[in-house]
Amino acid sequence: MNSWLAPRYLAWLWQGFGITLGLAATVAIAATALGFGLALLRNARSRQIQWIASGYVLVFRNSPLLVQLMFWYFGVATLLPEAAMTWLNTPHILALGGLTLHWPSFEFIAGWLGLTCYSTTFIGEEFRSGLRGVPAGQYHAAAALGLRPLAAFRYVILPQAVRISMPPLFGQYMNIVKNSSLTMAIGLAELSYASRQVDTETFKTFQAFGAATLLYILTIALIEAALVVFQRSGARMSHRS
Amino acid sequence: MHLSVLLDNLPYLLLGAYPDGPLGGAALTVLLAITSALLSAVLGLIGGVALALTRGLAHGILLAGIGFFRAIPVLMLIFWTFFLLPVLLHINVPGLATVVCALALIGGAYLSHAVHAGVLAVGQGQWQAGLSLGFTRGQVLRHVVLPQARRIMAPSFVNQWVSLVKDTSLAYIVGVPELSFLANQVNSRLMVYPVQIFLLVALMYLLMCTVLDRIAMRLLVYGGRRPIAEQAGFNTSLGTPRPGPI
Repeated sequence: MNSWLAPRYLAWLWQGFGITLGLAATVAIAATALGFGLALLRNARSRQIQWIASGYVLVFRNSPLLVQLMFWYFGVATLLPEAAMTWLNTPHILALGGLTLHWPSFEFIAGWLGLTCYSTTFIGEEFRSGLRGVPAGQYHAAAALGLRPLAAFRYVILPQAVRISMPPLFGQYMNIVKNSSLTMAIGLAELSYASRQVDTETFKTFQAFGAATLLYILTIALIEAALVVFQRSGARMSHRS
Repeated sequence: MHLSVLLDNLPYLLLGAYPDGPLGGAALTVLLAITSALLSAVLGLIGGVALALTRGLAHGILLAGIGFFRAIPVLMLIFWTFFLLPVLLHINVPGLATVVCALALIGGAYLSHAVHAGVLAVGQGQWQAGLSLGFTRGQVLRHVVLPQARRIMAPSFVNQWVSLVKDTSLAYIVGVPELSFLANQVNSRLMVYPVQIFLLVALMYLLMCTVLDRIAMRLLVYGGRRPIAEQAGFNTSLGTPRPGPI
């Protein structure tokens, strides 16, 4: 219990941390885009679209992420045709202009899909409350200035809504980082999984979990710091204009 | 679809091995959720009141402690309690107790901030009014501030409890036979119906969460006794007299 972890195990934890960050970042990007779309759908004119959107939110928000991950991991494998599964499981090399990306494992894809579907509902609700936080007078003022509805939305409503929803949005990014730990249940070798593995190999429980906990806290603190920086720069920009 | 297979397993998913063995499944999930919800409410009340009453260094330490629980994943805390509680207490702690402990701590940390915000929202005037009536600080808190803060805090409590119901599924990781654990067990036994099984389980959680949401909201926000001040014709949220009937 009194010595530190061997470099080999630190490397495991470090790799796990890399997967956690990669998963959280890609989920955050996708869920932000989809969540924004969801917020627009919930404000749609058509009743049917509103119902579908709120039904999606109800189902994905009120069932545990763990069950959803298992659904995607075990369920999708049986739903997809055989050929698609073999295609997903064979490694492909993605070449994006000099940058080669390794094809992720099926665990990663299932985890990414589950986390994205789950986080989209929360981020969508943050955007929706941001949109609702813009006073109705702003719509009328934009219309009175002769802006078309689309231009009014783009130049008047959206900037204000984004500023309102920014702090809760960053809170959701923190949740994505924390929720990514659940993907260990479907066998993705991210940080929690790695810490558990190091623990079983070395019996240095305190060091293994301590290192993982510190890395999580560090990530959350960095997101918090990013929010502060973002808000400062935003405040300065709006001051200047 | 093959509903009969699902129906055969439904009692197992609901109760586990109950009449012949330990309680499990959805019943255990409900039990787990209720226990940790009550504990988290108690911790949240204590933490929130402490946040409202402390200043300076003590306040900072308290904030850091609460921040720690809010920054780490629930799963990580379950690992900590699962491996450290037996070491600290020198007894064999069952997995169930460690999960309750972890969920209560996380829930309590989040609720502390809700309670703190609720107490602040009631306003300084209410404290002064209570003190000038001869109440002690404890009495003001108990009889004046907290009853008014209850309505403000209620939505946060309900939200936290709903996410707590979902988080009970993490007990799966340490082998507690609650609903998700059994779902996984049934899935590996049957092999061929993962979609149906996990849809059914998700639906069961959905039902639990929505029912909890409706009942708790009704009880905490709309139900209960109305504050005396309001009955006497005072608008409690502003502390100013409401215009009487003309």
